[in-house]
Amino acid sequence: MSYPLNDEQLMIQAMVREFARKVVATTAAERDRTKEFPADNLKQMGELGLMGMAIPPEYGGEGADTVSYVLALSEIAYACASTAVVMSVHNSIVCESINRWGNEEQKKKYLRRLARGKVIGAFGLTEPEAGSDPSAQTTTAEKDGDVYVVNGTKRFTTTGKNSGLVIVTAKTDEAKKHHGISAFIIEKGTEGFIVGREEDKLGLRASDTTDLIFENCRVPAENLLGKEGDGFKIAMTALDSGRIGIAAQSVGVAQAAFDAAVKYAKKREQFGQKISKFQGLRWIIADMATEIEAARQLMLSAAAMKDAGKNFTAQASMAKLFASEMVNRITGKAIQMFGGYGFTKDYPVERFYRDARVFTIYEGTSEIQRLVISNHILKDKRKP
Amino acid sequence: MKILTTVKKVVDVELNIKVNDGAIVEEGLQYVINAWDESAVEAAVQMKENHGAETTLVSVGGGDNTDVIRRCYAMGIENGIHIEDPALDKADSSIFAKVLQKVYEAGNYDLVITGKQAQDTDSGHTGILLAEYLGLPCVSNVIGIEVIDEQHISVSRAGDSGTEIVELSLPAVVTVDVSINEPRLPQMRGIMMAKKKKIEEMDLAALGTSPDEVGAGAPKSEIIEFMESEKRKGGQKFEGDAAEITAKVVQLLADEAKVL
Ligand SMILES: Cc1cc2nc3c(=O)[nH]c(=O)nc-3n(C[C@H](O)[C@H](O)[C@H](O)COP(=O)(O)OP(=O)(O)OC[C@H]3O[C@@H](n4cnc5c(N)ncnc54)[C@H](O)[C@@H]3O)c2cc1C
Repeated sequence: MSYPLNDEQLMIQAMVREFARKVVATTAAERDRTKEFPADNLKQMGELGLMGMAIPPEYGGEGADTVSYVLALSEIAYACASTAVVMSVHNSIVCESINRWGNEEQKKKYLRRLARGKVIGAFGLTEPEAGSDPSAQTTTAEKDGDVYVVNGTKRFTTTGKNSGLVIVTAKTDEAKKHHGISAFIIEKGTEGFIVGREEDKLGLRASDTTDLIFENCRVPAENLLGKEGDGFKIAMTALDSGRIGIAAQSVGVAQAAFDAAVKYAKKREQFGQKISKFQGLRWIIADMATEIEAARQLMLSAAAMKDAGKNFTAQASMAKLFASEMVNRITGKAIQMFGGYGFTKDYPVERFYRDARVFTIYEGTSEIQRLVISNHILKDKRKP
Repeated sequence: MKILTTVKKVVDVELNIKVNDGAIVEEGLQYVINAWDESAVEAAVQMKENHGAETTLVSVGGGDNTDVIRRCYAMGIENGIHIEDPALDKADSSIFAKVLQKVYEAGNYDLVITGKQAQDTDSGHTGILLAEYLGLPCVSNVIGIEVIDEQHISVSRAGDSGTEIVELSLPAVVTVDVSINEPRLPQMRGIMMAKKKKIEEMDLAALGTSPDEVGAGAPKSEIIEFMESEKRKGGQKFEGDAAEITAKVVQLLADEAKVL
């Protein structure tokens, strides 16, 4: 790899690689079938320090940089994409938002538990009628003394069922459109907070994706994250980081599919020789390797820009766009190289193919990434 | 209790190693911490956690050993010493043991834990030679260590006819087998702390010795040549019904293998 990683980053990568391949990978196929939530993996990841990587040590985290984080996340995704998406939302969206926008009490109260993986975090922005356009959301939060009364429905919440707390956006001021959106930390067990329907998905089957229903849910006012009206900004900032995470998931799954395909091609014989000897496949292998490397460099450069304190919004969108489209091509080609066997559950590539499909959709579809990138270039704030 | 553990950085023998002109092809080689030493480190760290022992590790040779030593720091080792000297280029087990003897003598240790062998040369001499040079009791192939008190430990070893339990008064040397424990993965916390720790880098002079004193001028053993072991011939696969296959196998055993 051309990108220079320091000793610490290499050590983190090696540690997570060993853990992911020894522990996480062994149950991935089974959990894909049973949809069992990877609670055991996450518990061990909490002990290893992978559930609060960017949280500062004074709040129980590790204080690792973003480059280390994306390396770790790719390794987990290599072994199990379902486990990786939980880690991703938990770290890059939930922990990071509380660390960035939370007040001292909120940080003290939540970060330590999150960092140890004792509580898994979720993020509820999307609604039935508000996907790509989150400003169209209709969940409301009305102040009533020292509580906010939240009403509405969130859709497609990753870890909706298995999380212990959720950052939820809701309108505190209808008139102000997205400036009227606020963010709240809502704990499981709060009265009026109901976990709704769980989706039956193509991929990421061991990660639960659910509706969250709020019926006169009384959230303590102290759980407002940031100020009233900060919600949209909080969500968009979180998504910038989250998108580097989706690039990391994409790189991890692509590398897994690639490694499996190369291994298979070196073993399988047709026409009296290994199929890896056919130029037709060798060129596919070369293209796959090149695309994965390009995505990895984009991921690392977005992460390094973030670490350097630069504005990385466009870079994160580029990394997410390219990497998520890339992994869909790679997993498709991997199945092609496996022939009919790739289409069966005897080999993992069909799972990689299904898992990768959502990467071009969540945390902003590829179309939305192009919108972000082109807005950044043209700077004319064009309304979609 | 002060524990000294030894760590060697070795070629990853799980990868394909190529030999050219009697020498191992350096290009593409990857280096890892010797698996037996990793178990020694884990054993030491467990004694730190359970009995408050102080742990120091020493690595001799191996070039830039920072990664290996930092990994041991991340696992919980407190101090690290790296001895490197051009005179050690062709060092054998005896020279390593002499160097370790010097390290031991400088540090006032109660217990030395080494790996039983190293996965590159697999000779299994160093720990035992070290005990000999130090005139200390030594138990090899250890699969369990229990602390009795500050002056005594009880170890179990895999002997030829079963597990043997040996009580040792300290100071002593033990060499451990990989089956003694499952070395932990370093945690993030350990990794982040490891980078802040110093590694004590020394050459032979700094250690208060010389190439001649440790025998580096005239190694007792020398590797003359590496050869690739003969590749196993592929087996044969027979298909068909049982009777046909049996007949075919019997015929081959008689005619080709000439064992019937
Ligand atoms: C498995 C999974 C997990 C998820 N996890 C979470 C979560 O944890 N939290 C959360 O809040 N959300 C989550 N989501 C929701 C996800 O972020 C949304 O699905 C996504 O933002 C797209 O919204 P939508 O599904 O409503 O599609 P729509 O917005 O309805 O989009 C439909 C199509 O229209 C296109 N489109 C929309 N607007 C434009 C435009 N301006 N220009 C061009 N094309 C456009 C889209 O690209 C897409 O192709 C998850 C979704 C899935 C599937």
